[in-house]
Amino acid sequence: MKTLIQKTLVLLLISLSIGTIWAEENKLTAVQILQKTDDVINAPKDQDLKIKLILTDKKGKEKTREMSMIQKGADKRLVKFLSPAAQKGISFLSLPDDVMYLYLPSFKKVRRIASHVKNTKFAGTDFTYEDMEAIRYSSKYIPKFIKKDGEYYVLELTPKEGIKTDYSRLMMWIRTDNFYLTKMEHYNRGNKLFKIMTRNNIEQVNGYWIAKESEMNDLKAKHKTKMIIDSVKFDSAFSDNIFSKRNLSK
Amino acid sequence: MRKYYLITLTIITIVFGSLSLYAESNIIFGGSFQTDNRMYLKNNNDFSWQEYRLDLDLDANISDNVHFYSDFWVRSLGFPNIQKSSDLFQSKMVTPQKFELKEGYFDIYGLFSENLDVRIGRQRITWGSADKLNPTDNLNPDDLEDIWDFGRHLASDGISTKYYLGDYELSAVFIPSFSPAVFPGGNWATALSPSLDLPTGLSLGSFSDKIILPENNIKESATTGVKVAGNLFDYDFSLSYVHGRDDLPLINKVIITPIDTVGTVEISTEMIFPKMQIVGFDMAGTVGDVGVWAESAIFFPERIIQETDLSGLGMGTQESVVLDDAPYVKYVVGADYTFTNGIYINTQYLHGFIHEKEESIEDYYMFGLEKKLFEDRLKITPLSGGLEVKNYDNFEDNYAIIFSPEIAYSPYDNIEFIFGAYIIEGNKSSTFGKMKDYDDVYLKTKVNF
Repeated sequence: MKTLIQKTLVLLLISLSIGTIWAEENKLTAVQILQKTDDVINAPKDQDLKIKLILTDKKGKEKTREMSMIQKGADKRLVKFLSPAAQKGISFLSLPDDVMYLYLPSFKKVRRIASHVKNTKFAGTDFTYEDMEAIRYSSKYIPKFIKKDGEYYVLELTPKEGIKTDYSRLMMWIRTDNFYLTKMEHYNRGNKLFKIMTRNNIEQVNGYWIAKESEMNDLKAKHKTKMIIDSVKFDSAFSDNIFSKRNLSK
Repeated sequence: MRKYYLITLTIITIVFGSLSLYAESNIIFGGSFQTDNRMYLKNNNDFSWQEYRLDLDLDANISDNVHFYSDFWVRSLGFPNIQKSSDLFQSKMVTPQKFELKEGYFDIYGLFSENLDVRIGRQRITWGSADKLNPTDNLNPDDLEDIWDFGRHLASDGISTKYYLGDYELSAVFIPSFSPAVFPGGNWATALSPSLDLPTGLSLGSFSDKIILPENNIKESATTGVKVAGNLFDYDFSLSYVHGRDDLPLINKVIITPIDTVGTVEISTEMIFPKMQIVGFDMAGTVGDVGVWAESAIFFPERIIQETDLSGLGMGTQESVVLDDAPYVKYVVGADYTFTNGIYINTQYLHGFIHEKEESIEDYYMFGLEKKLFEDRLKITPLSGGLEVKNYDNFEDNYAIIFSPEIAYSPYDNIEFIFGAYIIEGNKSSTFGKMKDYDDVYLKTKVNF
């Protein structure tokens, strides 16, 4: 009996040790995977995009918007609406450390976006201001390796301590061949799945991977927004001055 | 005939100028057309406002460093103003129309220094971080034509510069000539006009007034301003200084002349625009998840002594101080928040409305609650308005509640229908209470292009 207990304890200890090592390896792997994903998404020194947005409601009715988006590195992004006429000129600036500014031409004022606005829809799309922010996921979230699902790594991301976000967790599907993010599930503070983003038409342009189409699907509102990249330019050597309040209203 | 030649020449110049700009640069035309019809809830449901406004914008990036912008309003405002048969021959009396250059300026970016931007021309300069009611927004004259369009200002002809130094921004503005505020029309005119108390026992027979504009030179007419803006402890802030004149006139001279023996008098007044220096401060940021802002302005007015000539009544001339040279303060503090269900709330405490000075300053508690529905096609604002308090010690006789619910519906992109009301309850001693018998309902429509 004593031997059986000893054997059981030894087996338990070995299992725990293996489990710990396995989990530790997977945690490290998850971090590495997420860092590689961040590196791939933000590989260009800068990006200059012309984007068409197609908003589709639950009845299938569509609305179209156009915007320009420029990004430098992983943490500076400037978005300007080009159409429709009622939204033309609305501009959004995302800077490091969660700093975001909005310019509304009708008020002729640049206003800092308060954190309560970050979870609201960006100009009627299914992307929130938080979704539009330029970030490195690895700097805001702790990844956990869930599984390898065919050609995809599946990670679960939870916000790091002190990070303000409306998402309790994110589930990411990342291609194993190039570490490009292809699908992301968004869970609200009640841990309920409420939005899914998918990325399609992923191709290499000038050596950088890019999804020519992304779609955000709001499951509750049964509303979706497709983001189609009409034109893209990389590495235009944008100055930091472009990503400033000064340039936001120009 | 010469006039028509000049008009034709101007149109040809504008058209060909625009075409050449269009050919050579990135030029964008846009704008909106909107209708605004209002009627009283009482007073036989008479119409109180009718406006059809074509707003035309022209925006051109002439080069990387030069930008041009103009904004024209072509408006039909008001109702036929026919007094006599000869008026019928004047189309502007039958259909009142206005053509206004609201803004027209060009920007030069990086002039002399990479960090210096200069704007020359008719321009709106918006200072202050509060929501529409900004005590520090004093460079452009107030445009009170539509009193419900809070925060509306005229643009001013001048030059403004901005110098960028890291996260800091230094602004300087020079507006060479003075322009007064536009007063609201109709019943609102009396609510905001300077009041005049008649001596006991006298009644008003006739009234006339005269406005004395400042001398048309830089010393007397110019407005100047400087501002430094930056970010401290995660709060955007600015400090500003303005030297100019109050854009609302003040009575400095009254002549009271008897016209009969029972106390009926004729009154003539003279009004001036007091010189004013204003030191302003504003900040905006967040506390937790709540957006917060505060804005304050200290006004340093010149002393204005009102001279009342009662010699016609055998009482000589009396003098009284209508504006002391002691500083007074106006301020706003506010907050807003969006709940997870999409309901947006906004509240502000305002000490000092646009026209108020010194002892006449009152308190206003503004509030708003809105919710967007059906993929933002419908916006309902069931709670919006404010509470005016003139005197807390005798609240019942010195308050007004303003209630302005609104529903906005946008069936398609770029089109909007807005239905709402302006309802006032309170005591007539207060600014808004004076208008309690003139509640409005309105329907506005707008198309953007």
